[in-house]
Amino acid sequence: MINCADFVAELDNYLDGDVAAAVRVQLEHHIAHCKTCTVLVDSTRKTLKILTENGLFDLPREAFEPIAEEIMARVRTKEK
Amino acid sequence: MVGLPLNLVRGSSSNRDGGHMSYFGEVDVGSTFQPFTAFCEHFGFVPSLFRAQTLLPRVIRADAALISPILFTNQALSRAQKECILFALAAANDNAYCSNLHYQTLKLLGATEESLDRIVADYRQADLAPTTKAVLKLTLKLGTSEHSFSTQDLREASSQGLADECLLEAILTAALSRLLCALSIGVGAVSDFAPRAAPPATHALSLCSDFFPAAGEKLGFNLHAPELSPDDFAPFAFLRDQFGFVPSVFCAQTLRPTILEAEACAIQFVLLPEDALTRAQKERILLGASQAKLAKSDRALLSFAEKLEAADPEFSKSDIQTLQENGFNEKQILEAVVTTSLACFFNVLQVGLGAAPDFPAPWAGKRKRDAKKAHLSSSDQRHTYVAQPIDPDAECVARVLGGDLGSFEELMNRHSQRVYRTLVGILGNPDEARDAMQDTFLKAFQHLAGFEGRARFSTWLVSITTNTAIQRLRERRQMESLDETFDEQFRPREVQAWTDDPERLYSRAEMRSLIENGVMRLPAKYRVVLILLDLEQLPLEEAAAALGLGIPAIKARRLRGRLMLREALAPHFIQPERKGTKGVTI
Repeated sequence: MINCADFVAELDNYLDGDVAAAVRVQLEHHIAHCKTCTVLVDSTRKTLKILTENGLFDLPREAFEPIAEEIMARVRTKEK
Repeated sequence: MVGLPLNLVRGSSSNRDGGHMSYFGEVDVGSTFQPFTAFCEHFGFVPSLFRAQTLLPRVIRADAALISPILFTNQALSRAQKECILFALAAANDNAYCSNLHYQTLKLLGATEESLDRIVADYRQADLAPTTKAVLKLTLKLGTSEHSFSTQDLREASSQGLADECLLEAILTAALSRLLCALSIGVGAVSDFAPRAAPPATHALSLCSDFFPAAGEKLGFNLHAPELSPDDFAPFAFLRDQFGFVPSVFCAQTLRPTILEAEACAIQFVLLPEDALTRAQKERILLGASQAKLAKSDRALLSFAEKLEAADPEFSKSDIQTLQENGFNEKQILEAVVTTSLACFFNVLQVGLGAAPDFPAPWAGKRKRDAKKAHLSSSDQRHTYVAQPIDPDAECVARVLGGDLGSFEELMNRHSQRVYRTLVGILGNPDEARDAMQDTFLKAFQHLAGFEGRARFSTWLVSITTNTAIQRLRERRQMESLDETFDEQFRPREVQAWTDDPERLYSRAEMRSLIENGVMRLPAKYRVVLILLDLEQLPLEEAAAALGLGIPAIKARRLRGRLMLREALAPHFIQPERKGTKGVTI
């Protein structure tokens, strides 16, 4: 039998589908009986979804252009 | 340190191979030259291999810096066990000079001629301890057919009771063997002893056919490697300064900090001075650069190094003469030999330790192998470790190296978002991240000539980005460490169910702001891992290599980072009617 701490230790692997079949059976048996870990799995999965689907920390093109120009000017100076 | 009785053996000229000299002239370095004193103490004399390098005493210091901690100390493996590895590998690789040197040393350590002959013929039948046999099996595989070496080999050795410390020392000794063999070929070392008749090898190496590659094995350190920070560990600070980051082959050896000090010292003696070859010429040898776009003389230099690295049986004095005809003097050629030998050393380490190839093995895949020795049906079918990904930036990088600066702008455009996000991840400040982009790309441009290897350009660039950001943190003395150990316990407290569709609660802009704030409040060590793995979707192995972490460490940080972010976001997304229950201690 695994406890909540064991489950959390495997949470990432479980979410990424990177656990052996026998381990998966034990993990799923645990969440079938543990509301806390069920919430953890569901909310962590949703966290990853909103983390990856919202275009975080985008550097706008217009913000990068002057930086790139400055870098290229210095690169050309170094090459001379 | 373990010394041998002085004057029991000696390398007199009368014992030399017909009185021949090595390829390089010898000069008197004085009776108090420290490396020679150490060699006298531990070999009983100064082997001709080292006397042949006296034109450049600093390279002998580099040799001694590496040999002393690896060979002359009894730690997890004894000196005798390590000499045994060196002897077996030299014999397996048909290196007469080194096999004779280690044969004589083992005799001085008490081994009988019969037992040594048995090691060469078939070590499984030799009167050796089971652990020594396990170590020999491992190192013979690594030292003679590295392309089929895999973590499976280490697992097997481990299952026979060899701890990680033993395995690391065995791998280091195999790397040392490659270094000594390349040196002996390159300097044309003449035997210190009368030739002996070698027994037929029937052969221990046939064992290599017992192994099968573990197809698809992932990259990642094969041994436990505690984290060391360049901020606290001087050799790592030195390596970061020299290469722009700490190459993973060094991060994989942190079980033995003294070895890392020795390796940094050897690099310092060989790479930095420019009294013979230039730094750029040596970096090209060390990093296995392509010959394209080089002057004729530099192409000849790399061909020379490639032939020596491959232990080509046809390597001879004529190769030295070819370099002389291309304008290289004796000191420069000697330094080419030493630099190539150092590259061989790191090549073996990289394979043995499973370090991601950000410090590429020179001419990987080209090493000439005697198929009979390793009993390989086809070397191409047996490549397991070096799963060479196609680098989509390779052509663009080549164009930049060829002088096309516009292609560098293209590389910047391709990677600006990744660089920016990585900088934000570490610095935690978008304005400073924009500022640091300039430093990052300029460093990348400056070091690009040394890049040409098997590592992806994107991984290499992320390493530079990471180190640029860490440098900035250090300069502003904001001690938000990326390396400190985990917090005591992290206990998820918000364990109330979330609403089914969190994204319907907020506009896209509000959602982005919420998450960005949540990410920015994470400690930097978790934030950067989340950004590289979850936002940038960098493969686990590449992100680990870029950050100088092992796979278990980066996975632990990813888990902790995801859970902490979940915790930070929970108040915005929980179903109001639900009440929390207990927390969970990780």
